[in-house]
Amino acid sequence: MTKLQAKNIVKSFDHNGNSVLALNGINLDVQEGDFICIVGPSGCGKSTFLNIVAGLEKPDSGEILLNGQSISSPGPDRTMVFQEGALFPWLKVIDNVEFGLKMAGIPKDERRQISQRYLDMMQLTKFADSYTYQLSTGMKQRVAIARALAMDPEILLMDEPFAALDSQTRDLLLVELQLIWERTKKTIIFVTHNISESVILGNRVVIFKNRPSTIKKEVVIDYRRPRLMEDENLQKYYHQILEELKTEVIARIKDETND
Amino acid sequence: MRQMTEKTISQKSPRNLDDAANAALLLAVFIGVWQVVFMLGIWPQISLPSPAMVAGSFAKLISNLSLPLSIGVTLGRLVAGFLISISLGTLIGLTMIKFRGFGKTLNSFSAGLLSFPSIAWVPFSILLIGFNEFGIIFVVIMSSIFSVMISTYSSIRNIPTIYLDAARNMGATGLALFRHVTIPAATPSLIIGLRQAWSFAWHAIIGAEILMSIVGLGHILSVGRDFLDMSEVIASMITIFTIGLIVDRFLLNKIEEKVRRKWGLDHHR
Repeated sequence: MTKLQAKNIVKSFDHNGNSVLALNGINLDVQEGDFICIVGPSGCGKSTFLNIVAGLEKPDSGEILLNGQSISSPGPDRTMVFQEGALFPWLKVIDNVEFGLKMAGIPKDERRQISQRYLDMMQLTKFADSYTYQLSTGMKQRVAIARALAMDPEILLMDEPFAALDSQTRDLLLVELQLIWERTKKTIIFVTHNISESVILGNRVVIFKNRPSTIKKEVVIDYRRPRLMEDENLQKYYHQILEELKTEVIARIKDETND
Repeated sequence: MRQMTEKTISQKSPRNLDDAANAALLLAVFIGVWQVVFMLGIWPQISLPSPAMVAGSFAKLISNLSLPLSIGVTLGRLVAGFLISISLGTLIGLTMIKFRGFGKTLNSFSAGLLSFPSIAWVPFSILLIGFNEFGIIFVVIMSSIFSVMISTYSSIRNIPTIYLDAARNMGATGLALFRHVTIPAATPSLIIGLRQAWSFAWHAIIGAEILMSIVGLGHILSVGRDFLDMSEVIASMITIFTIGLIVDRFLLNKIEEKVRRKWGLDHHR
């Protein structure tokens, strides 16, 4: 069943007074339970696309359909895990996780129950009453994931959530995220510039072209889980995506030197 | 509980004791130097009384109740003016956020008025309102409100977008967004503005009372001058200093520290 549809999304930016076309007609169908990874050269507009899906930015033209309904504003049905720094420092960990539930008007007892469940899932039970500055970067991102999952969204959006982590923590979270996905059957769109990440996580890897961006290619990865970083069998997918991306990255660098 | 008390004592107490010891030492040195200068007789007693004479003045001012009364009156005016400043200044600050163009212009104006000396409002206030309570309170308001406006405006404008994005993403809108995200996110910066506004208000009230009042701490100063009573002048100066110190150190600074600790703002290098 189609969960989310992006129809011909066009978006341009104002850059030093010039209009720069970032997205030039993105079309994407996301099926229920999909784990989609979007990869592309830096500045290709993949994060912008995610923000448009989240409703935080408006496209110049085109539309996003969620369960067939057009959406235009942010909503708790599409929760986002940001790259970093999006937790509220004035709230305890547990209150951070409950924030969206509170906004939705869910009574306190029920909120506690839900947030406890997701803190347990992310192995953060002991830190429920900590403030965010007391956590490591990896723990913070686990709180952010718990916070997003607690809303029980239709789609989970993740914008390079592991980019700021050290590699051990990231490897661990890559496995955890796969387990969570299998357990919760959530539909996930995950933006990354890291090819290995996309190969391990995605059942579909969508490759964005250099700007003005369209979708260049999609690679379907049908392989058992949980996938591990060191799995040799994933190499062929990695190289396939790398080949596709190489020309885009070169184009990107040319753009930058001509600027 | 017991454990926590012990921990607090073992961590905090030595530092507090140190601070107290240092303060006592500084005070002793100050009074000592003062006494020595007095005994050298460089100035006549009427220009520079001894510490003991000032203590005598204190005793007199307290026993005839003029000091406690003055403190009460001054703080009453100050709090009234400051509260009006905060409410009105916050309201205007929020309006400045709502209407960007207006906000930008008013922000520049306010920045100019921020450095405007509070005493310079006195003649204006006397002619506009008169020699009364409201005239004094008006000076206090005009001296502190711009600081409140600017701080409200810039604190809210400088909230990192990511907090607002994350909140909207989780379904926060309108008043809920304002109450649960905008206000707490701006708090550390708002408190600094409030502290500044308080200090402007404090400067203003004493100045206004010297020139405009028949009662209050500033008035005691001006009476001391009129009657060539330097002991009384110094006694009221010490009172003004002490109140300023108490409010800043033990009230405003404590609030700021509490917020900073909760946010972990002191944990960065």
